[in-house]
Amino acid sequence: MDGVRVGNRVIGADAPVTIGWENIPQVEGGAFKRAFFTWFQPAVLLGLIAFWYYAPNSIAKASTAIGIGIGFKVLLLALEWVNPRYDSWRLTWKELATDMFYVGLGYTMVRMVSGFIGSDAMITAIQQSFHWDKLNWFVGLPLLVQAFLIAFIFDFGQYWMHRGMHNWYPLWLTHSVHHFITQLNINKGAVGNPVEIFLIGLGIGGFFDFLPRAALIAGTFGMAVSTYQHINVRFNSPRWWRYVFNTTEHHSLHHSLDYEATRSNYSGTFIFIDRMFGTCVDGEAELLGMEGGRRMSIREQMTYPFTEAWRTTRERLARQPAAIPAE
Amino acid sequence: MNTRFIDWIWHVRGSLALSPQMSPADAFDRLDPLFHTTGTSHERTSDRLVFRKKDPAAQDRMAVFENGVLQVEKAAGGPVLHYHLISRSLLLCFLAPLLFLGFAQLNIALAKFDKPAAAASAKPGAGKAADKQAKKADVPMNPIDKWLGAPAPEKKDADKSEDKGKKKHSPTPAYVFAGIFAALYLVGRILEDRLVKSLFRKRLMAA
Repeated sequence: MDGVRVGNRVIGADAPVTIGWENIPQVEGGAFKRAFFTWFQPAVLLGLIAFWYYAPNSIAKASTAIGIGIGFKVLLLALEWVNPRYDSWRLTWKELATDMFYVGLGYTMVRMVSGFIGSDAMITAIQQSFHWDKLNWFVGLPLLVQAFLIAFIFDFGQYWMHRGMHNWYPLWLTHSVHHFITQLNINKGAVGNPVEIFLIGLGIGGFFDFLPRAALIAGTFGMAVSTYQHINVRFNSPRWWRYVFNTTEHHSLHHSLDYEATRSNYSGTFIFIDRMFGTCVDGEAELLGMEGGRRMSIREQMTYPFTEAWRTTRERLARQPAAIPAE
Repeated sequence: MNTRFIDWIWHVRGSLALSPQMSPADAFDRLDPLFHTTGTSHERTSDRLVFRKKDPAAQDRMAVFENGVLQVEKAAGGPVLHYHLISRSLLLCFLAPLLFLGFAQLNIALAKFDKPAAAASAKPGAGKAADKQAKKADVPMNPIDKWLGAPAPEKKDADKSEDKGKKKHSPTPAYVFAGIFAALYLVGRILEDRLVKSLFRKRLMAA
């Protein structure tokens, strides 16, 4: 396979990928269907931002956000059914059950552990020991600026954590499990070793004081942009959207069977961070995963980082030359 | 231990009447492509097929079954295909609510454990905390947001930090997921039974 030259790199030499927006298939069907799948993403994002901006205080609460989040995921599941990007990514009962197991772990076990040693717990401890107050200059900024900064600061941190995971072996061991997924569906973002799920959730937002409403608007970026990283729906995302935001196309390339393609598109929400640092590749891929696309069982997903660490450590120790006795 | 009375949880059994002219070899030839997928191994004798799957692909139509036996037997009305399939996925899904109920109990225990510590830490600093709250009572609102008509932010509520403590160890998400997995199991047990029967039927009836 020849691959395609993108900057200094050759993408698609190991496995087929599509590079360039002009080569990506468009939504087919009637005018309504095409308009729906073109404007759905911006309309939802802008609608939700307006909702959180103007909702009375009695409604603008985390519990409302949870309800909207669940409803939105059910809607996206329906869209996967109606307009799948690839038939080879169709959601099966086993895939759904596996994904839900990880979603459940994220809401229970990982949250429990994060409560003790997560970034918020660590930041609170730091603030208490140094008698620091939260940085409250943040709270006087316009709401939308606060919301953007919360989302951007978190995504900027995620970008470097994610890039670090792809470049530093101990971190890669935790993240590699997520790269064994062979198709994208809306709950696939939760699939991974719990150590990684914990690490990717770390952020420095706890140092800042901001309005709860700004946090809800920032959460909208997560829900109405980042969720599309893992989804089996064909959208005609507008040009400006895919220039600014991460999309299924970008993220499918990141999950491709092609090694070089996986070393791109690290951000979770704002793809312009990848553009800033030269890691953005516009395109998509259908064949995903690692090691030829083998599907990893939950049991192996739980143990893989540790068994691999043990195996490579033993190999490294075995390679070290034996001490040469002095003559 | 005789698991016969409970093994329906993860064992799927069924049968399909074959056309009188169909030999066991014909039937297995038609089903053969199902056992040539990634991670699947199978052995065939004249009237029996045994298969085993390890890490099957996500789109494998029988991915939910780790192993099984298919047997063609002669009956009064003609040959009948009997199948007995075993699914660890169904068993784990059946047991998953227990895991999440366990997490719920752990949360309840942690909340009890946290309570005395929270009460102790709250007492000496209570005066200071109240002062701080008083200082922070006025939450600023940017003029742009005022002009755009956003609702004014609420004053910070001292009770909210207590609520936060309660929510930190809430067992509710774990209960919700226990319920989700109970529902998923019921759907899976019925759906996968029907899907595999229809898959075999379509293959056997294909010209």
